[in-house]
Order: sequence, then C-alpha cells, then structure tokens
Amino acid sequence: MTTVDTVDSAVGTIRGRKKVVATAVGGALWLWLLARWAVHNTLLDAVFSAIGLPDLIHSEARVGVREPWIPAAPFQAVADALGGVAAAVGPLSFLADWLAWPFELAAFATSTGPALAEGAFITVYLTVISMALGLVIAVPLAVTRVYGGPISSRLSLAYTELIRGTPLLAQLFFFYFGLPLAGLIGSVGIMELDGMPRTAAVVAIVAFTINSAAYQAEYIRAALQSVDGGQLTAARAIGLSKREGIRHVVLPQGLRFAIPGWTNEFVYLIKYSSLAAFITVPDMFRRARDIGSDTFQYTEIYVVVGLCYLGLVITTAMLMNRLEDRLSLPGVGQSVGRE
Amino acid sequence: MSLLRVDSVDKSYGDEPVLHDVSFAMDRQNVEVIVGPSGSGKSTLLRCVNRLTEIDGGEIFLDDEEIHTVDENELRRRVGMVFQDFNLFAHLTARGNITLGLREVLGLSKEEANAKADDYLDRVGLADQAESYPAELSGGQQQRVGIARALAMDPELILFDEPTSALDPELIGEVLTVMEDLADGGMTMLCVTHEMGFARSAASTITFLDDGEIVERGPPEQLFEDPEHDRTRTFLGELTDLHQ
Repeated sequence: MTTVDTVDSAVGTIRGRKKVVATAVGGALWLWLLARWAVHNTLLDAVFSAIGLPDLIHSEARVGVREPWIPAAPFQAVADALGGVAAAVGPLSFLADWLAWPFELAAFATSTGPALAEGAFITVYLTVISMALGLVIAVPLAVTRVYGGPISSRLSLAYTELIRGTPLLAQLFFFYFGLPLAGLIGSVGIMELDGMPRTAAVVAIVAFTINSAAYQAEYIRAALQSVDGGQLTAARAIGLSKREGIRHVVLPQGLRFAIPGWTNEFVYLIKYSSLAAFITVPDMFRRARDIGSDTFQYTEIYVVVGLCYLGLVITTAMLMNRLEDRLSLPGVGQSVGRE
Repeated sequence: MSLLRVDSVDKSYGDEPVLHDVSFAMDRQNVEVIVGPSGSGKSTLLRCVNRLTEIDGGEIFLDDEEIHTVDENELRRRVGMVFQDFNLFAHLTARGNITLGLREVLGLSKEEANAKADDYLDRVGLADQAESYPAELSGGQQQRVGIARALAMDPELILFDEPTSALDPELIGEVLTVMEDLADGGMTMLCVTHEMGFARSAASTITFLDDGEIVERGPPEQLFEDPEHDRTRTFLGELTDLHQ
C-alpha cells in the first residue's frame, strides 16, 4: 500500500512542500481554536461541572476571556506609520496604502479573533453533530434505495428528492418559523441547563441533519452500486442472509468508496452551516455579520471570516484524505485503482 | 439413495426458455461434469441447485428433501459454490474470506474459525497467504481461496461454475490439482467446466447439455469413445482439440 502524498481538497491538489505549509498553518489554526475553546466555552464548562471536575482553567482566567492573546497595537502602529508615510509621499501614496492594508487587516483580525473563535465552536459543533446524525440516517436510506422493495426504495427516493430539491434555507425557516419545533425543544427541561446549546442551534441541527442525510445517502447509494454484484451473490452462496451480506460484505466496501463524496458533503456543510445565522444561531458567520455592522469594516471582516472558513475546510479535507488512506485496503479504496 | 436429484426442471428468463425437462441424479462422492455450448443453460442449472435462481417447474431434492422446503440460507450452507470470477470478498484477507461464513453462519468462535481457515488454506497450498487481500493474489490463488471458502463450510455438495474459465492458461493447473485432490478425497462435486482432461480423469459421469436439454449422459469413457449422438461427438471432439 502506498501513501499518496497529495491532498484533494476543495481548492485543488496540495503536494509536497505546500502540504507541509498547509499542515502547519492548519495545525496552528486548530491549536488556537482549541485553546480559545478550552479557556472559554460554556458547553465545556457544563461537561466539566457535570462530571465533578474542578474548574481548573477558568476561575481567574474568565475575566477578560474575550481579550485577544496577541496585542493588536503593534500591527496598528505599523499601519498608522505607513499611513503617515502615505500622506508625505503625495502621488505615490497608494503604494504605502497598499502596504499598510495587510497590517490593518492583521490588527483587525487580532481584535476580532476571540469572537470568531467562539462562533467557530458553534460552526464546528453544528457541522460535526449534523454530519454524524445524518450518516446514521443516510446508511439505511441508501441501503433501502438500492436493496429495498418497490415501496421502501421509492419512499427513500422521495425523501432524497424532496430534500435535495428544496433550498436549505427554506428548510431551516420551515423548521424554525413554521413548525412549533422551537417551542417543543424549549419546553424540554434539559434545555434550561446551563451550557446546553440554544434552542435555535438545536433546530439548526435537526434541519442540517435531515438535509445532510439526503445528500450523504446519495453519495452512499452511488458507492453501494459500485460494489460488484458478485460480492453479494458470494455472500449469499455461503449461507448469509441478504441483510447479513449487505452488512458484512457490501457496506464495508461501499462505505470506503463513499469517503470522497462524504468529504465533499462535510466541506459543504461547514460552509452552509452559516445559514444558521439567519435563525439567530451565533455561529462564526453571525459573529462576523455582527462585527461588520458594529464597525462598518465589512471588507475586512468578510476577508477574515472567509479565511477562517477556508482554514476549516482545508484542514477537514486533509483529515478526511488521511482517513481515506488509512481505511483503504489493497483493491478497495483509492490507493489501488479498481479494475 | 441419491444425494442430489433433479426432476423435470424447467426454467425460462421471460420468454426465453433456458432449461427444459432436465432430470438427473447423482450419488454421494460422485463427480458430475456438465458440458455444453455457451448459452446451453449449464450455469443456470447450477444456480438452481442452490436457489440463486428459482426454477419455474419440476423439483430438486437434496438428500431426499425438496430444496424449496429447506430454508434457503440453510440450503446454501449445505451446498457450496465456486464462481468463475472467484468473487472473493475484496475487503477481507484470504483468511477473512473463509472465517466470515464460519463465524456468521456456523457460529464458530474467532479462534476456532481462524484455526479452521488456516487449515483449509493449507489444504489448498496457501498457508503463507492467509493475510493477503484478494487484489494481492494471482487468479489461481484467488480461486484456490474460493475453493477453501466453500470447503470450510463442510458442504455436502460443491457446485463449480466454470472455475478455470477466467484464468490465464498457466494458472489453470494449480486449480485443477486442488479439484482433483477433492474428487479423490470423496467430495461430491457438480462441475460446469470445459477442462476435458479433468472430466476424463475425475468425472464419474458427464452430462452433455445443449439448448437447455440433456442430450446425453454417461461415464467419461462412453461419452468420449462411443457417444450415442453425433452432436456429443462433435462437441466433445472440438473441446478436446481446443484444450490440448
């Protein structure tokens, strides 16, 4: 088995030295995110207190948690100095302005980072939970579609087409404003516990799960259909039932073939989870929008938040690529092409 | 008492008749070789015996039980099958291919299943390939694993569906050797094959099937030396020439 030293991500193929850089930058992003979450996160707080762990990190640090760890002042000072130069050089001032802009952006990113990190937690949380729950629904959906009877496979098809054929934002609004789902969720006692995600976030998870299940089911269906028919025949010929044959022979192969498509869906959901902002979920996108309307620095904040999404997407794609490599077997997976 | 008795079996795919009034019986420890031109219904007949294909008319008895009165999974445990395209489970090692049925169908423990699998791999000369995946094996090795997989279930009868047809010529011998050993060991085998050397040396009976009907059936000497029908003589003559 050879490890392929490339990453097929949403932004193309990353190789060699670029891969090292991407890994370093991505790793730094995640270290920073995890550190920020560790220092201030109400969900983690709730978990800590629920299992009786002393609140080691917070107590003192809690004050000023929204403060950036790297001061913005030096960047701003450089930017201001360059601005001064610009004023002095007259006709060539645009050059100095161009040079000043990255420093201004860095200063801005430093000061808005803590809020975006908080939002990123919710973005990641929404995406991971919805992907996982979606997978639980998608596998039976796909199996039913391929191997089910005429009625069940049509039901599965109808579900997939209904969900894939309507806008995600419409689905989100349907569940949040249309169904009394928010009220129902809010009335469950457990929701009042400190640290539980807000009602809107739960509605978002429900909507994303239902949506993602349909897309994942399509990827898995295609993968199942690419498993050679002789595999199930052979399973049945040794006395396995159809269900056992699907479980022990078809799914282990089909799910491996589904990983590239699954990565695709993962990357999509990271970005489309930003729609949750429109039902008041304080995810990364909503933080950015709020900062934008507070500061009027729309260009800067959307560049910064765009880079954050890009970082999440690329690291996810790299991670999934490694997973695919790890799970691939001779003849099953990407390392050796199927003949 | 016959182990397998096929009685007036009819089968058609839609309007296309495939088998018509096929009847024969075979005893334990016999090796029955079915020959016939392509499209004559040989493979279909085989697949009817373990119910991968359902017959339209007639009856098939295994050990005097009509096979449609037996649970199909139970029937297939008792009737092994070896495929033309091997159909090894691509995600499992050679050992895993054998243990899957042992564990999930026969309910053996992991240790018992592994020991038994290794024993059967040894019998087909592949003890050193237990950890190899199908894609890492040659066609001949894959087919020998396929035979070991069928054998390990302790079947009463094994069906061979053109087991050497997908193999390069130099790999056919190793598979035929394993099959000849099985025949010598008293395994009951129903084989569709074009290997006339194997038919001559190992078969108890040869059945010539053409157009979904049995044209002629008898011991190898009779069919090769003194067939009743010209069709049989022509077909076997051509096959023997081809495979020399």
